[in-house]
Amino acid sequence: METLVFQGLVGLSVSMYLWLLAAGLTIVFGVLGVLNFAHGSLFMLGGYFTFTYYGLWGVDFWLAIALSLLSVGVVGYFMERFFLRHIYHMEHAYQLLLTFGFILIFDDAVKMIWGGVAKIPPMPGFFEGTVSVVGRPFPVYNLFIIGTGLAVAVVIWLLFEKTWWGKMVRASASDREMAGAIGVNIPTLFTGVFVFGAMLAALGGALGTPVRVVAPGIGAAMIIQAFIITVIGGLGNLKGAFVGAVIVGTLSAFGILLFPVFELFLIFLIMAVVLLLKPQGLFGGG
Amino acid sequence: MSGSKEISRRELLKAATVAGIGGMTLGFGKAGIAATAKEKPAAPAKSTKKVLGVDVIKLGGQGVISGAHADYGWQIQSGAVLAIDEINAKGGILGSRLELKFMDEELKPAVAVKNARYLATDWGAHLLFGVDSSGSAMAVGPILPELDRICVFDHASTHRLTEELVYGKGIKQIFRISVPVYQESNLAALIFKEFPNIKRWAGIHCDYEYGYSTWALFKDTLKKLRPDVEFVSIAWAPFWTMDFSSHISAVMAANPDGIIATPWAGEGVMLLRQALMLGVFDKIQAWFQCMGASVDLLEGISNEVGAGKFKDKLWATARYIHNYPNTPENSVFVANFRKRWNRLPNYSAENAYSTIYVFKAAIEKCRSLKTADLIKAMEGLKIMTPAGERFFRPEDHQAVYNVPGGRVMKDPNYPIPILGDLKVFPAQAYYRNPPFQALTMGK
Repeated sequence: METLVFQGLVGLSVSMYLWLLAAGLTIVFGVLGVLNFAHGSLFMLGGYFTFTYYGLWGVDFWLAIALSLLSVGVVGYFMERFFLRHIYHMEHAYQLLLTFGFILIFDDAVKMIWGGVAKIPPMPGFFEGTVSVVGRPFPVYNLFIIGTGLAVAVVIWLLFEKTWWGKMVRASASDREMAGAIGVNIPTLFTGVFVFGAMLAALGGALGTPVRVVAPGIGAAMIIQAFIITVIGGLGNLKGAFVGAVIVGTLSAFGILLFPVFELFLIFLIMAVVLLLKPQGLFGGG
Repeated sequence: MSGSKEISRRELLKAATVAGIGGMTLGFGKAGIAATAKEKPAAPAKSTKKVLGVDVIKLGGQGVISGAHADYGWQIQSGAVLAIDEINAKGGILGSRLELKFMDEELKPAVAVKNARYLATDWGAHLLFGVDSSGSAMAVGPILPELDRICVFDHASTHRLTEELVYGKGIKQIFRISVPVYQESNLAALIFKEFPNIKRWAGIHCDYEYGYSTWALFKDTLKKLRPDVEFVSIAWAPFWTMDFSSHISAVMAANPDGIIATPWAGEGVMLLRQALMLGVFDKIQAWFQCMGASVDLLEGISNEVGAGKFKDKLWATARYIHNYPNTPENSVFVANFRKRWNRLPNYSAENAYSTIYVFKAAIEKCRSLKTADLIKAMEGLKIMTPAGERFFRPEDHQAVYNVPGGRVMKDPNYPIPILGDLKVFPAQAYYRNPPFQALTMGK
């Protein structure tokens, strides 16, 4: 039992990176109707910027994360304002081509700027150490990640449910023309939502830097899981993204512990079952 | 009709190569080094009568020079360029200059096969070498008889390349200069049989053939040497795992005394950092990181090693280690490599560097560029290399040389960690030797 609790907690901490990534992906899809293949690349850029500010320039860890979010926000602004905006009216295939193109551009760009070798930022000292959970050492950092993931979930919920901006976003998501007709500045709002989604991805990438590595290609590696999560939870549904991320993160952790031989298959099995029983995803539809 | 088809296929190949080279220069700050080998003026050709009948000996190399593992291909390329420039500066081989074309295999078997065909037929390579991925090696091997070219493999580590394709199927054009998976499995078993207190072993392994074969061989060999050991837990990690926390905590639930792990390159660094976070090194007695003595990995964990976080419990090996052996050949190679590229050579670099000198020795021995002659010259060849003396076993064309395992530690003479407390075993003791029996492996 202790083993299961511990493994579940480890899985939950892994889920939170997935949640941050899937949240932005699903918000952008839900509001803008764009399936952003390059969303994982924004996650990667979040890692690279944090590595640069914190690992190379020695900026304070928290400030480095904030700067990294801003930097990726700027990148997101340019992506939306000068590229995506021009293809909203086109078929999904064009959006996929364009955003896939961005993956290649970002991957090559980071190789030109930072080189092809994986970068390893140092761990901030105050996060080192473990606390005892069911008698086993659990990293303080993973606790921090779980806390951050939950906090972000609350903040996003408040933002969309309780603020004027959130109401406008929801209105535009459900009926773009009508929202426009009653005076919502749709293009500006879309830019804002895309930048927000980009910054969520960057936060995931930034928080990963002390324990992972940043390398070209990590974005493409992560995006597949984010897609699985959004498919399980329902495309465009935030609650679905959160639940989907927790399902994928914790179940794969249990799978690794209990069924090491077909752990990989487990996630795809869940996705297939969800698609069969609820083709719109657990929280999708409507 | 077939003619026009052929042309369009060639055009495609050409386009792909151009794209590949474009991607390479664009994608990699250090790329373009292939060109330097070509551009550097060699000793001017003196006479029109060449022993080999050609002005230029063309060498076609491959490695992964894009994507997250690009450093491995870079190391192959850099080692080869260093050797080629050295040889050209001394007048080439029997008066013929060496020229290199290096292509990106992208860790994709289909790409590696396409490259090999292009290099051998369109570009006219006399000799082939390289290939990082085992999948690519197993795909390139079988087409070599048709291409009538030798390929010296200098990284791909599946035992099946030499055991099945050379020894089993008799594909004589395959040679391998680097030690295969015997290194990380059997050598580890020999090292840890001496630790009576390490009885419970767990594995965290790559969820592909590399991980399967390492784990199978390690278990087989160690169980024979130490019937009292148990294998208590195993976790499989697919290519491109970003977070190993779940794998680590799963195997730690079984309270192992030792852990053996195969994830390599950046993944290996992540695995070790995450193991540190989970307090693994407070609990276990030893961790064997299979290719942990590769330069990129040592660079990645340098700070943690310096701070003593692994508590001297981290062990590793590689297919060559920059601080072994202590010979003039190795010191000169390491010094020249550092001077040229401002980094230490990893095993891919040494393996590729030595490959070029194997070509030289073979060509000088048979004074021919014909594949059949070269095969004869290379079978049984003994040659001194930075990694020590290599001997190409005639049965399976596998180079036999020994690389030790040891503890990862800091040394004031090197900017990155080295292997210390070296455990040296003769190669025959941990290589699988012919006749080979098929290895049962799998999850």
